[in-house]
Amino acid sequence: MLPDKLKKTLEKQIAHTDHPRELVVDAMLALQDHYGYLSDAAVEEAASLLGMSALEVEELATFYTFIYREPVGKYVIHVCDSLICWMDGYESVKNYLCEKLNIEVGGTSTDGLFTLLPVCCIGYCDQAPAMLINRKVYGDLTPEKIDQILEKFRSEA
Amino acid sequence: METYPQILLENRKPDRIITLKEYEQNSGYVALKETLKQHSESDIIQMIEDANLLGRGGAAFPTGFKLKTVAADAPFPRYLVCNADEMEPGTFKDRVLIHTNPHMMIEGMIIAGYTIKAEKGIIFIRPEYESGAKILEREVRRAQEAGYLGKNILGSDYSLEIVVHRSGGRYICGEVTAQLNAMMGKRPNPMQPPPYPTEKGVWGLPTVLSNVETFACIPHIVRQGPDWFKGLASTDTGAGTKLFCISGRVNRPGVYELPMGIRLNEIIEKYAGGMPAGSEFKACLPGGASTGFLPKAHYDIEMDFESLKKVGNRLGTGAIMVFDQNTCLVDATLNLTEFFARESCGWCTPCREGLPYVCDLLLRLENGDGEEDMIPILEDMGKHLWSAYCAFAPGAAAPLQSLLIHFREEVEEHIGQKKCPFKQ
Amino acid sequence: MPTIIIDDREIEVAPGTKVIEAAEQLGIMIPRFCYHPALGSVGACRVCAVKFLQGPFKGVQMSCMVDAQDDMVVSTTDKEAVAFRKYVIECLMLHHPHDCPVCDAGGHCLLQDMTVSGGHGIRRYLGKKRTYPDQYLGPLIQHEMNRCIHCYRCSRFYQDFGGYHDLGAMQSANQTYFGRFEEGILESPFSGNLIDICPTGVYTDKPSRYFGRRWDYERSPSLCINCSLGCQTVVSCRYRKVVRQEARLSESVNGHFICDRGRYGFFYNSLAQRPRSCIVDDQTTSVDQALAAVKQKLETFADKDRAQAVACAGSTRNSLETLAMVKHVCQTNRWQPPAYFEDAAATYKLKSAISRLEPDLTVSLREIESADFIAVLGADPLNEAPMLALALRQAQRKGATVAVFDPRPIFLPFEFKHLPANLDMIQTDLGALLNAALEPAALKKLDGSAREFYASLATVKQISAARQAEIVALAELLKASQRPIIVCGTEMVRRQTPALAADYALLMQAAGKSVGLFYVMPGANGFAAGLLADEDVSVETLIAGIEKGSIKMLILVESNPLWQFPDRHRLEQALQQLEVLVVMDYINSEVAQKADIFLPTTTLYETGGVYVNQEGRAQGVKPAYQGGIPIAQTGHGDHPPRVYGTEIPGAEPQAAWQLLAHLIGTGQPLTAEDLRAEIWQWLAKIDSGFKALPCVADIQPQGARFFQAPHAAERFLRERPIGGADNDGQLEVMAVEMTFGTEELSADSACLKALAGSPVIFMYSSDAKQLNLTDGDRVSVELNGGAVEARLQVTANMAAGMLIIPRHKDLDWQKMNTDKTFVHKDQIRKLKD
Ligand SMILES: Cc1cc2nc3c(=O)[nH]c(=O)nc-3n(C[C@H](O)[C@H](O)[C@H](O)COP(=O)(O)O)c2cc1C
Ligand code: SF4
Ligand code: FES
Repeated sequence: MLPDKLKKTLEKQIAHTDHPRELVVDAMLALQDHYGYLSDAAVEEAASLLGMSALEVEELATFYTFIYREPVGKYVIHVCDSLICWMDGYESVKNYLCEKLNIEVGGTSTDGLFTLLPVCCIGYCDQAPAMLINRKVYGDLTPEKIDQILEKFRSEA
Repeated sequence: METYPQILLENRKPDRIITLKEYEQNSGYVALKETLKQHSESDIIQMIEDANLLGRGGAAFPTGFKLKTVAADAPFPRYLVCNADEMEPGTFKDRVLIHTNPHMMIEGMIIAGYTIKAEKGIIFIRPEYESGAKILEREVRRAQEAGYLGKNILGSDYSLEIVVHRSGGRYICGEVTAQLNAMMGKRPNPMQPPPYPTEKGVWGLPTVLSNVETFACIPHIVRQGPDWFKGLASTDTGAGTKLFCISGRVNRPGVYELPMGIRLNEIIEKYAGGMPAGSEFKACLPGGASTGFLPKAHYDIEMDFESLKKVGNRLGTGAIMVFDQNTCLVDATLNLTEFFARESCGWCTPCREGLPYVCDLLLRLENGDGEEDMIPILEDMGKHLWSAYCAFAPGAAAPLQSLLIHFREEVEEHIGQKKCPFKQ
Repeated sequence: MPTIIIDDREIEVAPGTKVIEAAEQLGIMIPRFCYHPALGSVGACRVCAVKFLQGPFKGVQMSCMVDAQDDMVVSTTDKEAVAFRKYVIECLMLHHPHDCPVCDAGGHCLLQDMTVSGGHGIRRYLGKKRTYPDQYLGPLIQHEMNRCIHCYRCSRFYQDFGGYHDLGAMQSANQTYFGRFEEGILESPFSGNLIDICPTGVYTDKPSRYFGRRWDYERSPSLCINCSLGCQTVVSCRYRKVVRQEARLSESVNGHFICDRGRYGFFYNSLAQRPRSCIVDDQTTSVDQALAAVKQKLETFADKDRAQAVACAGSTRNSLETLAMVKHVCQTNRWQPPAYFEDAAATYKLKSAISRLEPDLTVSLREIESADFIAVLGADPLNEAPMLALALRQAQRKGATVAVFDPRPIFLPFEFKHLPANLDMIQTDLGALLNAALEPAALKKLDGSAREFYASLATVKQISAARQAEIVALAELLKASQRPIIVCGTEMVRRQTPALAADYALLMQAAGKSVGLFYVMPGANGFAAGLLADEDVSVETLIAGIEKGSIKMLILVESNPLWQFPDRHRLEQALQQLEVLVVMDYINSEVAQKADIFLPTTTLYETGGVYVNQEGRAQGVKPAYQGGIPIAQTGHGDHPPRVYGTEIPGAEPQAAWQLLAHLIGTGQPLTAEDLRAEIWQWLAKIDSGFKALPCVADIQPQGARFFQAPHAAERFLRERPIGGADNDGQLEVMAVEMTFGTEELSADSACLKALAGSPVIFMYSSDAKQLNLTDGDRVSVELNGGAVEARLQVTANMAAGMLIIPRHKDLDWQKMNTDKTFVHKDQIRKLKD
């Protein structure tokens, strides 16, 4: 169930716009932040908040890269696999992460902290290889840097 | 090293954005004040047209002309959209611009909005740029507090509100009509005109959509005049400066503001610090993933829209990706095509089904399973991609087709040697 | 008018015609998948590519996306275009499962056709195929996503055209998936059209799954008789069974689509329990013996005075031939005049509606789509005539305002205005709307009675304060409208409502608007029955006759009053009082089981017939197959049957009108053809309007419009429009129709059972509050004939002071008065769960 406060905030936002549908991505992101991923129940909640059918929300939820329709870890690591990062070491970054987290691409670490997903160019080619963790960027990756980053998240969790 | 005037990245700070106050001290919002005080809507459009400002989002569409196509009797409210989606691989200039001086593009939006009497402004931004989105939300608020936005801007009778719209993240959302759908909470499939967005855009209302960099040019054109703007370019056909994003095999990747039409070798060697030791220029993509490989023969080409068109290529977003002699271009094309195949919206057949098909063949070539007859098939496919629904697929065709034209031997080597010649 | 050259042939087309359509007019079928005439062009599949040689466009372009223009020269056979189309088809076949041998779309699959005609025959792709999971979509449609070619027709039909939002496109790129958020029954009552529009086998007809190939079927044009609209269909028969029904394009009635009630409403035809033999006093006999038994009974009533003791009733599901014959027999034999309707008011309302359908007011279902303002008066489109709702939606999509004046909880698949009010007040509201929208000055040319009528309209001030703003806002829209239409029900409404609807239309016409008038009627042949019915005769008057003892013998011809007569107890008693009950029918109805003499009749699919829809359009159907018991039944599941003979097993049933002919005179009965001709001659004597109607064999696909011979239909009623009545704290009970489960024929379709839901009773929210009832409570309502129990559905979307009871098959609702029924609030009790 959606906490009252979040529901009220969303309702207020939605009441504020002429076209509630405009807010569908915002609503999905907000619900996803709350639940950790966009669960079936969250799709239905978003639908009822926005006056859409669950299917209509699903049509969008499954389209967007940053909406997760399946459970993910607390931190979602998106490693850029587009041209420049690919040229500059995407493969080793990915392998290093897989090894460190003991998962495969698409998997979630057993502690439930990290999910590893590839992503297309994130607009940080000047800092390749780069990755995003919960939509924050980390560039010029080296094994040491990755260790530090993972450590930081582990200690925060 | 010759230094060119810095217009868009003027006063760029290494570690932080320029504050509103700093911008104001550097003639920020002067153009807006002048506009509201002394220029008619058509004056401004004329200036932009005279300045030959071509859209910086990749398609090089004349901005003045676009503003003009909003009919005088078009319905209200009218929308103005700033395309900050910047999903073109290799491109990150809008990000730098937003993190340097967000007010420049905001001011540009307000002036452009004024010309079409837009009441609603939307900045559409990709989710990877969450920090940019937060900056924009904050600076829009500050602009509003300073009276540059909101009701009766600077006491005039022009009003504009700007909101930041976060995308859920997909390359196709950068395409104008797909973006309109995305903003309306529909599936971001493109929509072929007519009607044109300037006639029926967001919620069926007139909408002008331009790129971040395009908007950022506008205050300067208004303040310093079209001729000055044209004079910034180093070619006759070009106008203004251009934010070049350079990445790949260079020593100093990054964004450089340089005259439109500057030569490629000058950018690479002088500004990007040249190529690393032992690296030799083999090719580059001159304007993002949806442009073709530019072979060494054009190493000194003038980087503007016209000259690249002449050699069958495109300036695109001005995102230069440099490859050296050790890069396998078959593998690079495979990577690019995988990107396009994954990002296809799935609306039309040649793109949705054709691109994975191309990937399948390229992967076979790369793995040494290629056959002679795959080349003509790939050639046909490249051609067929041009008959897709939107400009996405022709973009995807660019690397493939240029590979087959300029680096055919490399492809044939893959087949002949039954392996990738770049792999041990 | 632009002129275009396609493949060296020139054609002039209407502005806005797409090149693909222009080519079709030349007889050139350019391949297409996503393009569909009803759904329009979206340019997604890219298979309609042609080469533009000259004119404003150049090169390979999609013919569905380009308007034909002057100076255009187009080639469909150009090498480049052909190569591209072939490539598109290759792409679409990459992941196709090639399961044509077991696919129910095989043989009528656009993808098969295009693959062959496009020249793609050799597989070059070496990669793996993509596979999708399928979903359970309910009892009507089988889902098979691997066959999908992503033309988006399904989601475009389902959502954009149809207005439902539980099926659509999910995922993206080459994973794009069409289906529901979760498995389950599709919500749209138009979902069956997915089968027709899907160009391959993603959506196939579930009830007929694996039964045959299209070429195995005897396919013939047919008609839906599950409501009064008369949508055109195609039926497929095999092994003596109707197995499938599809929509047939009709430019004037249903367009490309039909509703699920219609598509799946035919199963009564082949049920195992369908009566196939005559029964006399519980003994199976031959037709001749049964007819002899009837005649023998009639002997008793042969003399002139006693003939009046015989009565006959038909129904709105009779073909025109049967309706006519029923009347003819009654007249010739001097029996009571025939009854076709439950109560006399129905006859009155239909007669007045028919007389008011003047040629320049009457609009077809298709014409509704181009209206810009539609007032629906006392009708519930989705439940009474589902395709009307789809037509209204098309009008609304083009910008029309739809306002519904009806007490029921109306749902329509689009945005509309519902002004719930009781059956008296709906007129007041509409009157006030017209009053506010029409300028008195513009009405000057009206004659006296019209002006008087206008003066009698309610004013906005007279209606409830809460409603005034809504009416004023609507009035503005009506004022601006060029092409308004009034849709009026004839079943639930008060006696004068249909005539008033016509008067309202005439007023608007006088105000210079191009007005349309559209009635919804009960049953497939309500129009014809209304025309032929005698005023003041109904099942109810027959019952009264039986009760009085003046009627002793009753012949029911494809009529089952037990299905719908509101006072079941009274009807049953009357039936018991009869000396002889004869029933002729093709369904094993409750009343058939009570018959002393039963004669089986044939269905529409076996005999054909003419049906006159609610706008007076007579449409004819020829037989679809020869009849008989389905082979699956005679063979007891085994096939082929082991018993051979020249007779068709179970083919005894005859057309009701042929059976009836035996009851007239003594001469040798005529052949079917001659008899039909005679019926037509006789009809023409009743109303010269019938002269315009060809016999079944000659009826054109678009049908023929019946207009009653001009006579002095009273325009502009003298009586004042009906005002509101205070019901003294009582609730008026209305027993209403639903899309599924209340219509007699389709109620026999097993596949539709799940769609009918469970019985409910609707109550207005504040009425419920007063009674301390909440949504979902089980309630008992004490009607005159006893209690009715069901779950309560509380809604604000209906009129106050009403109790709406859907005539659900599983609800014992027939305990009402034959006239209005009221219940006191204390007659409604909450039950324990
Ligand atoms: C597949 C595709 C992706 C695009 N992505 C972007 C983008 O991320 N940002 C952008 O400004 N323009 C993008 N464009 C170009 C836009 O469609 C549009 O031309 C541009 O935003 C208009 O602004 P401009 O006139 O200032 O260039 C894209 C075009 C295509 C076909
Ligand atoms: S080319 Fe077709 S599938 Fe690809 S992005 Fe454009 S519309 Fe979508
Ligand atoms: S029919 Fe024209 S693109 Fe599909």
